[in-house]
Amino acid sequence: MDAADVALRNATYRHFVELGRAPTADEMAAALGRPAEDVEAGWRRLHDAHALVLAPDAAEILMANPFAARPTPFRVEAAGRSWYGNCAWDAFGVGAALHADCTVDTTCPDCGEAVRVSVRDGRPDRDDLVFHVLVPAARWWADIGYT
Amino acid sequence: MLLFRSEEHVERWLAGRTAGATISVGTLCDLAQAWWGDRLDPDWQPHTRDQNQAILDRLGLTGEFWTLP
Repeated sequence: MDAADVALRNATYRHFVELGRAPTADEMAAALGRPAEDVEAGWRRLHDAHALVLAPDAAEILMANPFAARPTPFRVEAAGRSWYGNCAWDAFGVGAALHADCTVDTTCPDCGEAVRVSVRDGRPDRDDLVFHVLVPAARWWADIGYT
Repeated sequence: MLLFRSEEHVERWLAGRTAGATISVGTLCDLAQAWWGDRLDPDWQPHTRDQNQAILDRLGLTGEFWTLP
């Protein structure tokens, strides 16, 4: 990841937060004064470096971790907006990245009951919940969608 | 990477599959803060593998399961 790609990544994240959704390649191209093809090529390199995740066969952002570009079962209220995390870890990461208190809404995968937890000043408002990671760290990126 | 009501719910959901790792929601908050807290910094730079491993180590997430490639 060279300096230009890091700058593109940082600009993409900044726009994600400003828009409250993933920017398109055309939007980033307009913002940066670069051809959309350059943005798409940079995004592909960032995808290969695990700095963001693109849709298969399309220059469309699926994940700018911890943010998800599409609705997921991990909804987050933070900084006056609704967001989605890609998983429970990412959901808590949304508040961390925004440096904001947050409320995470999901469901227990076992029983389907709604689960809500709020984080204030970095601490959860309940301690009965547990987080389970099924895939060992060595294989997290083998299939990031499954992980 | 899922959130469960309790360890009993994890066990039932696994239904005999090999368990991964289970941590408290408090540790998850600490992990999220350390892992994602800098993602919107204007001068963000990629974490190295060793930086990420150090985050896991500091939180006691050690052993083969938590060893990054």
